[in-house]
Amino acid sequence: MNFLSLLNVEFQKIRRSGILLILLASTVILWIPSIFNLDLNFHMQAEGISPEYNFFIQGFMAMSWFMYPAGLVVGTVLVSQTERLNKGILKMLALPIGTVRLSLAKFVVLLVLSATQILMMTGMYYIGAAICSVMRDYNFILSPLFVMREIGILFLSAIPMLAFFWMLSVCIQTPIFYIGIGLASIVPSVLMINTKIWFAYPMSYPFFVIVSEYGKLATNLDTAQVEFVPWIPVAIAITVTCLCVSCLCFGRGERR
Amino acid sequence: MRILLEWKKTKRTGFVPAFMGGGILAAAVPAVNMAVRSEMYLGRQGTCVWILMDANWQVMAMLNLLLVVAGACLLYHTEYADNGLQKMKSLPVLESSIFFGKMVLMILMSVLLLVMEAASILFCSWHWFGGQAGGGQLGGGDGSVFVIELCQSFGYAFLLMLPCVVLSLLISEACKNMWISLGIGIVCVFTATMLPTSSFVLSLFPFAMPFQVFAGADAAWTTRFICAAVVELVVLGGAEVLIVGGRLNEFFIAS
Repeated sequence: MNFLSLLNVEFQKIRRSGILLILLASTVILWIPSIFNLDLNFHMQAEGISPEYNFFIQGFMAMSWFMYPAGLVVGTVLVSQTERLNKGILKMLALPIGTVRLSLAKFVVLLVLSATQILMMTGMYYIGAAICSVMRDYNFILSPLFVMREIGILFLSAIPMLAFFWMLSVCIQTPIFYIGIGLASIVPSVLMINTKIWFAYPMSYPFFVIVSEYGKLATNLDTAQVEFVPWIPVAIAITVTCLCVSCLCFGRGERR
Repeated sequence: MRILLEWKKTKRTGFVPAFMGGGILAAAVPAVNMAVRSEMYLGRQGTCVWILMDANWQVMAMLNLLLVVAGACLLYHTEYADNGLQKMKSLPVLESSIFFGKMVLMILMSVLLLVMEAASILFCSWHWFGGQAGGGQLGGGDGSVFVIELCQSFGYAFLLMLPCVVLSLLISEACKNMWISLGIGIVCVFTATMLPTSSFVLSLFPFAMPFQVFAGADAAWTTRFICAAVVELVVLGGAEVLIVGGRLNEFFIAS
């Protein structure tokens, strides 16, 4: 079985999971308050940000702070629990497939779920911006190139966090611990982005990146900017370590 | 008896350690906050309970909510994982009594959480506010007022947490798959974080209520919330009985 057909199998497993509905609901809920509080976008002179950029960045900040990481936690629960129910994982482990490839295939599924969530968020952003443009007779729609760049950065910055969550769900057998640790680790990210060691905490990357973009767009606001030198090597090290540990531990609990 | 049974089921699921760990984490929030930047809070006007709750309650309430959602998912996951609920249904016990057993267990855990958090607030006001802003003298005199305020604050927090406990258990009971109930619960928590706490109607959403703070709010405002919490509890309890009743009817029709 090559990697592509393995991926295909993994996608079939989550086809009827209903995860897309949950992610869609969260993105709809995200933009509704922004549309209702449309007027606030016109009173941001103190920060020096134009209304259309403010509309975009506020929504993305709300998302990258809590819902996006929490959506990834739900994704890891989905991927690990669908197989633990009814001992499906034992059947998978009995097949002549390397556990490393199996673990990596599941991680790719998680990456696709993460990308789907961002794309839904972006789609909803365009719908919301179109509604606002009609309501206010002011162009809220930003150029797709700019939006693509932002969501690309957001997606890439979330990969170390995702690898960490995946490692938790593989290594910890009791579901409440990896859910609890995952969710509890999201909450302090607000505090971590204000410290000097934010790059050591993968859960704060997406929020940090979006906040630093906010600082770039708002001329009067000074937020910490991304410094690539300690960040990129540390992020790569965290990702590789987490992936290696999860590949090594995958299926170990079941095989005992 | 029923509660003892539910208690036994949570053995080796990590339910109690998770609540203990979460409680320690939530209790650490005000202590760390005070240790790092106590100068921001010491000079403020108002009682120390109000200052501490105002500074930390949003994060603590969020941790409480996430724990409640995850705990509720787990309690029903243990039932659904190996078709345990089917076996329970074949026993001569009312299905709703399983629900209320789990509810009592969750409520006990929430009490544990809140006691740990109250102890942390007590410690912070004794250690950092000693003597000022109504804190410090815990035995008699000014101190009795402080203890009453602390008890009132956490009693209020406990009451406002109950609808959320019941609703998240209801969600977990309705969804067979753990990630769906977890996903719905998280979307609800996310919605609650988007709602302004100053709006009464929007704060009636059960997941938004625990973000309310007793200290510093006026009496009419808190009374309205207490009434709303009791009404929501009755409605949600009734909904549970109705849902289970509906399911029983379906069963009788099918057989």
